[in-house]
Amino acid sequence: MSGAILRAMLLGLLRDRGALLMSFFLPGVFFVIMAEIFTATSGDSLNLSVASVDEVESEVTLRLFEALEGSDMLTLLPERYADRDAVRAAVKAGEADIGLVIRADAEPLEAAGGFGAAPILVILDPARGFAEPMLTGQIRRAYFAALPDVAMGNVVAELENQFLTLNDEQREEVDVGLLEMRADAEAGRETGWSFEDLLARESVIGGEAVNLVAYSAGAVAFMFLLFASVHGAVSLLEEQESGILDRVLAGPGGMGVLVDGKFLYVIGQGFVQVTVIFTVAWLVYDVDLPGHLGPWIVISLAASVACAGLAMLLATACQTRRQAQTVANTVILVLSALGGSMVPRFLMPDVLQNLGWLTPNTWALEAYSGIFWRDDGLLAVAVPVALLAAIGILSWLLARGLAHRKAYGD
Amino acid sequence: MKSNGSAPLLALRGINKALGGRRVLTDVDLAVAPGELVVLLGPNGAGKTTLLGTACGRIAPDSGEARLAGGDPRRDVRVRSSLGFVPQEIALYPYLSVRENLEVFGRMMGVAKAELAARIDEALSWSGLGDRTDDRVDTLSGGMQRRLNIVASLLHQPGILMLDEPTVGVDVSARERIHELLRRLRAEGLGILLTTHDLMQATTLADRVVFLVAGEVRIQGEPQQLISEVFADTKEINIALTAVPDQQQRTQLLDAGLTPIQGGQSWTGGVSAGYDGVADWHHRLEADGLEAAEIRVREPTLEGVFLRLTGEELKL
Repeated sequence: MSGAILRAMLLGLLRDRGALLMSFFLPGVFFVIMAEIFTATSGDSLNLSVASVDEVESEVTLRLFEALEGSDMLTLLPERYADRDAVRAAVKAGEADIGLVIRADAEPLEAAGGFGAAPILVILDPARGFAEPMLTGQIRRAYFAALPDVAMGNVVAELENQFLTLNDEQREEVDVGLLEMRADAEAGRETGWSFEDLLARESVIGGEAVNLVAYSAGAVAFMFLLFASVHGAVSLLEEQESGILDRVLAGPGGMGVLVDGKFLYVIGQGFVQVTVIFTVAWLVYDVDLPGHLGPWIVISLAASVACAGLAMLLATACQTRRQAQTVANTVILVLSALGGSMVPRFLMPDVLQNLGWLTPNTWALEAYSGIFWRDDGLLAVAVPVALLAAIGILSWLLARGLAHRKAYGD
Repeated sequence: MKSNGSAPLLALRGINKALGGRRVLTDVDLAVAPGELVVLLGPNGAGKTTLLGTACGRIAPDSGEARLAGGDPRRDVRVRSSLGFVPQEIALYPYLSVRENLEVFGRMMGVAKAELAARIDEALSWSGLGDRTDDRVDTLSGGMQRRLNIVASLLHQPGILMLDEPTVGVDVSARERIHELLRRLRAEGLGILLTTHDLMQATTLADRVVFLVAGEVRIQGEPQQLISEVFADTKEINIALTAVPDQQQRTQLLDAGLTPIQGGQSWTGGVSAGYDGVADWHHRLEADGLEAAEIRVREPTLEGVFLRLTGEELKL
């Protein structure tokens, strides 16, 4: 008897293409995307783009750059940046993941002892939080691998500076000093010369602290916006199944009344949903929503329009609610994975990052990152906003056409 | 409800339609006048839904002409405002109250806000749901939902109402209330076209019945007139035999004016002796070497009309 149930279930699955897709195809696709992302995150194929300027151009600094160029974890962009402002601008604009400046107005690289400005300036965008430790790790590797003499010179300088000639008395002092250094290190205090003395960091956002929650708010908001929009739009198919569609289609308004009404509703629902998520981010995690209210409203509206349009298109293209929900789950999970709603795009390999530009998630996150992290005004995020709005309106128009065709057969 | 003179509200002429290579409608002519209640009868797959879709303007005929309130319902959206359509399903929002549903559908059908409240009150009065206005639809009985399903399509005061199986799944008293509602609407001058499987409903309600079989209109006319023409003053007799008759017995039954059903194990016809004819037929069958499992005499029905006129059993 159980075998009969087993057979019925098996046949049901084999004859339901949507269920087959969800059960066997989607997990595979999704796994490939996530595996690619996490493989990249582990460092195998992640590649930082670095905007750089060498203000010193000494033999030592050139050797350092040469060593950095040999790293397969970063790419020094070939553009020649005139000065550190140009590097700063490139990082801020997202042309580069991070910036590197060898400063002329600092201690020389080969004689840095932590007594003046650090010779290496890292210009970072907090939106790409992983870039900074990766770059400094590569600089450290290049420094010790390519410039061992410089590194040792610094140690000797430090030795001379602190201990000079080692007679018995001095040896005792060294022992005491080493013990103190050890105690300092154990207490988390800075001690003596360290590689850190070579580095200074600067954020493109200026001195202002960046709230990383703003990214996850945008990422989560857009993914749920897609889910909620589909949920709202598939009520069209429920109305088809319940006969409401037949009643309305026989009337003067026809299909347009239903599609337009639902489109507007889904936009409104989406905007409220995004508002709730960002309000929580503001109240609980100090995301500066009031400070960016105007651009945020425009971006959120455009995002809601995009999701509503896509959801209406899906609802009108599918024949049944079950089919629509199956397709929606598949599409939304893939879009969200590629578009940075699950894992920041920055962590993805180049191929996936480039594919991400095909997703509305990416454009929405670009726009939100622009205003919350780079303090961009509305004009600076005009392209993603316009694209989102265009996606939504085009999809809505297509949905209208499809719905009319389905209802009236022409 | 408004009336539109005596010109047909719905006129279908020579409608032909094929779907997926299969002929669904063949040369269908059908008209509904103001104040007329037309019942479309036919088995599943006869083309009733396609015919309603064509009348509403949702389906384009391959040839022929559909006119609704004098216009083309596919090209002229305005003429569709003269149509109310009641789907077979309970096409209401179950989570909304009675009034909320009427508000939504009234607005969808283009009723002005200023007039909506009065129209809803009128609809509530028609449906007898005045004391349930604030109740959610999913808490109403099946009969109430059916009545609301009908009046939700009347808010824009259409000239013609089309109903697809309006009493399916309701009990006898609820069905009678729906019949009463439909009679009142007809008396108000509304043209009504409804589909049903219920021959009794067709007989008691219809001004005219239209039998649609395999996409063709086979018979149409006023029910009592059709019955009188076919049965005159006879009763309808149905005889179920214990075995299928042989060729000679079959000829004798045909000569006696009976028509075979179900491969010849059952027979039907008219009997002039009324209920007394049962005994006569019993003896006659015995004389022919046949044994009756059941002999039933009843007032003539539309089912009998169809059978007698077409020689086919009406499988509704």
